[in-house]
Amino acid sequence: MMSAPEMATSVSNLRLKFSGEDALLFKGVSLAFRKGEKVLLLGPSGCGKSTFLQVLSGLIPGSIEVPMIADDIVIPERWGYVFQDPDTQFCMPYVDEELAFVLENMQISREEMPTLIRRYLDQVGLNLQGSHVLIQTLSQGMKQRLAIASVLAMAPDVLFLDEPTALLDNQGTEQIWATIRSIAQDKTLIVVEHKIEGVLDLFDRIVVFSPEGAVIADGAPLQIFPQYRTELKEYGIWYPGVWEDYIEHKTPRVLKDDRIASVRSEPLLEMNGFRGKRGDASVIEIEEATVKPGQWIGIIGDNGAGKSSLLLSIMRLIKTEGICKVNGLQLNRVEQAAEHIAFVFQNPEFQFVTHSVRNEIEYSLLIEGISPAIRQAKSDELIEGLHLQAVASSHPYQLSMGQKRRLSVASAMIRGQQVLLLDEPTFGLDARNTFSLLEKLEQLRSEGTSILMVTHDSRIVEHFCTEQWHIVDGRLTDAINLSP
Amino acid sequence: MQLTFPHRETWLHQVNPTLKIVLFSLWFLAVILIHNFNVMLNVAIGSLLLLPWSGHPWKRLLLYATPFLLVFVSTSTGMMFFGKGETDWFRWGLVNITEESFYRGLHLGFRALSMAAVGLLFGLTTRPVRLFYSLMQQGRLAPKYAYSFLAALRLVPIIIDEFQTLRHALKIRGMRKRGWFIGFYQLVHRYAIPLLAQSIRRAHRIAVAMEAKGFAGRAKRTYYYSIGFSYRDIVFVTYTLAVFGVAFLAGTYWPYLDIIDVR
Repeated sequence: MMSAPEMATSVSNLRLKFSGEDALLFKGVSLAFRKGEKVLLLGPSGCGKSTFLQVLSGLIPGSIEVPMIADDIVIPERWGYVFQDPDTQFCMPYVDEELAFVLENMQISREEMPTLIRRYLDQVGLNLQGSHVLIQTLSQGMKQRLAIASVLAMAPDVLFLDEPTALLDNQGTEQIWATIRSIAQDKTLIVVEHKIEGVLDLFDRIVVFSPEGAVIADGAPLQIFPQYRTELKEYGIWYPGVWEDYIEHKTPRVLKDDRIASVRSEPLLEMNGFRGKRGDASVIEIEEATVKPGQWIGIIGDNGAGKSSLLLSIMRLIKTEGICKVNGLQLNRVEQAAEHIAFVFQNPEFQFVTHSVRNEIEYSLLIEGISPAIRQAKSDELIEGLHLQAVASSHPYQLSMGQKRRLSVASAMIRGQQVLLLDEPTFGLDARNTFSLLEKLEQLRSEGTSILMVTHDSRIVEHFCTEQWHIVDGRLTDAINLSP
Repeated sequence: MQLTFPHRETWLHQVNPTLKIVLFSLWFLAVILIHNFNVMLNVAIGSLLLLPWSGHPWKRLLLYATPFLLVFVSTSTGMMFFGKGETDWFRWGLVNITEESFYRGLHLGFRALSMAAVGLLFGLTTRPVRLFYSLMQQGRLAPKYAYSFLAALRLVPIIIDEFQTLRHALKIRGMRKRGWFIGFYQLVHRYAIPLLAQSIRRAHRIAVAMEAKGFAGRAKRTYYYSIGFSYRDIVFVTYTLAVFGVAFLAGTYWPYLDIIDVR
């Protein structure tokens, strides 16, 4: 006799609405997940995948107040939830204390704690020198593994993972998936994720949401992929083969071949015996390097190698020694440097100084005292170029992640600087926004801007950059020309 | 960004934090009520004698103490130079040093010094985690407040890093030159809004993460650190009583000076 498979969690006819928004996010979604099933939820940003996880776990409406109704909802008895941001999951300063916090919540006796803490850390592969280690000294990938360890401490049957690798570099991402593979065998796994290369074999079911939060596909990965490729592309999902698809469909203009044409011979940026310092210690050293107009330098290297310090040094935001000239002019102060060099920070929100998108773009022009008519014309042009017309009067904080990044590039570049510095501009972006930002940068490059960009993504370097700089232990070790 | 510095653990670190906070608060109160110069001087010496057990090297201790030394100098000189009194020692323009004002100034200075030493000691020998665990276990503080404070402490270094980034970003974007007052208002505005926006979002996410980890804010829970009492607490209480006892007796029977009330 066949018995119906046991359900781990389910919801039927879910309706939910965020305050301040007109439309319902879910209009009667019903989904059920079997025990032990490994499910991947896909969809564009803002389609409500994370919200859906929070409903299944009972965090909505338990911890986050959002009006919702459902005919029936089964919340698993024992569940664990791993969030996206490694910096907002812990409340204690030390690794062991954080795990102990969970054990205390479970009312496990003090005597058992040290053994359990060691066991969970072993399970996620965190081999630390003892467990009394400051969390802030861990890398982002290690923090995320600690988050998984603390979830394991709850002995969950169901694991909810909400984009656990979105804010991690490639190395961290690989470590997280290796960890998840090793711990999830006997558990139900429900995952929201954008970067799904190399992990598809882990899942036996994929659910695809539409931008309106309706389920448009539900089935085995092998069945879903060929059928819904267009949707996945449109939703900006990093599906396997997304780069190949992109390159195939791209006009060859952006690709390497005719890049060299625009590269002129005179160097725009020259560095000689250039050193950036924090306190008395030298954190980055460039013996000799030049950047010509129309060059796009991809700066790669391990975490803490000195990539960001290089950008800060060029901008004179940290103490420097030696020569670094733009257009033959040695710059000594930040204000001076800012006239020739634009800087885009990783978190665009820190760059915004006004209350609307339009003001933000006009801001730097206002300081320079350009007439209102020209200002208006210039900002109109930029807003259109960025596809931000619809949100021109919104507060910059209200934009989506992709829009914020585009705006931060535009507002940094408005004074027409010839050099553009970017610190991991595509970090945490979905595929669609990444390509759109890269195209924007490519356009600037083709007009003669020199770009120096810190990145962890080797494929961006391969397909967009003209040169690659490798930073090892605070030194530029080799510069490889990528132009054919 | 790191806010903790390596240091030696001493017996003062092992004193029960709740007891420590209660006794040090009483210490503050008592110091305010002392008006006898001789007793005050003795108490100040008694407070300073505890400093070698802070567990931090002298240089760092002096560095931490600079603001307090400044308070000592400014309170005492302020009182000395401009106070009222009968016996003139020195008069030059507004400055008028009298015997009474001189000792009153010194008295205030020692009072500030004693409070500074005690406050510094508390800060340097008490880990926040131990303090809150103790307050939950001995002081019946509700866990939801204790863990909220601890979570908030985690945000401090992050905010300092963000402040640095924001400073860089604003430098690059350039600031319009305005009047002093508007300029100051703008400055506050520009720093406060992004930092607050980030912190509020972060705090909310941490709160949700804590609840997702089974934190319910109820009192019933086990504790990773069991914080109780030991012989060190007796030593600490005895020392405190002794300082005040000896200071009072010595100040009364073997005074350095003939000043009983500085008021």
